Amino acid sequence: MAMPKGHKSEQGYATVSGDIDGMDYRSIAEEMSASGHQMNHATARNVFLRAMQKLATPICEMYGCDDPDTIEKTARDPRFQSGMFDLVSGILSETSDSEIDI
Amino acid sequence: MSDLLKTFFNDVGKSKLLTREEEVSLSKLIESGDSRARTRMINSNIRLAISIAKKYQNKGCPLEDLIQESNIGLMKAVDRFDWRRGFKFSTYACWWIKQSVRRHIAAQANSIRLPAYARGMLWRLKQTTEEYENEFGTKPSVEELADLLGVTTEALKSITACASTPISLHAPVGSADGPGRMVLDTIPDNNSVSVETTLDKQKIIESIRGAFYNLSIREEKIIRLRFGISENEGGDEKKYSITANEIIQLNKRARKGAQ
Repeated sequence: MAMPKGHKSEQGYATVSGDIDGMDYRSIAEEMSASGHQMNHATARNVFLRAMQKLATPICEMYGCDDPDTIEKTARDPRFQSGMFDLVSGILSETSDSEIDI
Repeated sequence: MSDLLKTFFNDVGKSKLLTREEEVSLSKLIESGDSRARTRMINSNIRLAISIAKKYQNKGCPLEDLIQESNIGLMKAVDRFDWRRGFKFSTYACWWIKQSVRRHIAAQANSIRLPAYARGMLWRLKQTTEEYENEFGTKPSVEELADLLGVTTEALKSITACASTPISLHAPVGSADGPGRMVLDTIPDNNSVSVETTLDKQKIIESIRGAFYNLSIREEKIIRLRFGISENEGGDEKKYSITANEIIQLNKRARKGAQ
């Protein structure tokens, strides 16, 4: 579906340049395809945004909002994604360092 | 009173006061460069200097210092006294001694030493403000004051800021019977994180941690790639060839099983 005419993101677009040393969707798709999960860049983006929505849902609910549109908008917001980067990297490193006791 | 001061007062009491004729003749000798005459003139008037210094005793300066300053003023007066004008020396010296002592007290009164010009400006500022208030019934603005005093607003602001009395951070706050807080304890730390923020953050982390369990392996891997979080950071994933999410889920199941 084509982008609606006159659409302009209010908070700009999320990028992986700057502080985040991440990959663009095309590189993610290539990496995932190579490891057995066949996908193109659009799927990589959709999967990423779906994951972001999953993470945004409890936070939005915490602040009394369960409107799916708002959750989707929050998930796309580069400020939210930047905040998630900090939290998720903290959680993942915590998980790797201490929580896992197999 | 210290022993040193007592001895000094005893010595001073021995020197005789001068008559008007003696003052004139000594002044003439001083003009011609006679240092003994100068010394005698000073010694004979030290009692005057001490009596003036004693009047300023309770202004926060030690008496010894005040006497020292009044003596400096006396020496200035001796050097500048003009016998031809017909006044008594004490009338003339009195002003020099007072000026010297006052200047010393003003310099010592504040932690920030202000130059004489700035102190004069402050005095004029106070006078002008009072006059303005009496005339117009309202306080003058900084611009108006600067205009009246003939200085720039920046200079006026700077002098006013310097004249403000500094307080010690360790000074006690409130009554002495209170909890013993200091000024230091009442200054807010704007850089500290509030308890509410910390709790909010903790709550958010917990909910994200919960939401993280619901991510599929594919989603978790894409998040890692997108955010550039290496899977090799933690040793366990590498060791067991599984992702962190799988480890979390296994851990969760193990805990449930244990319960």
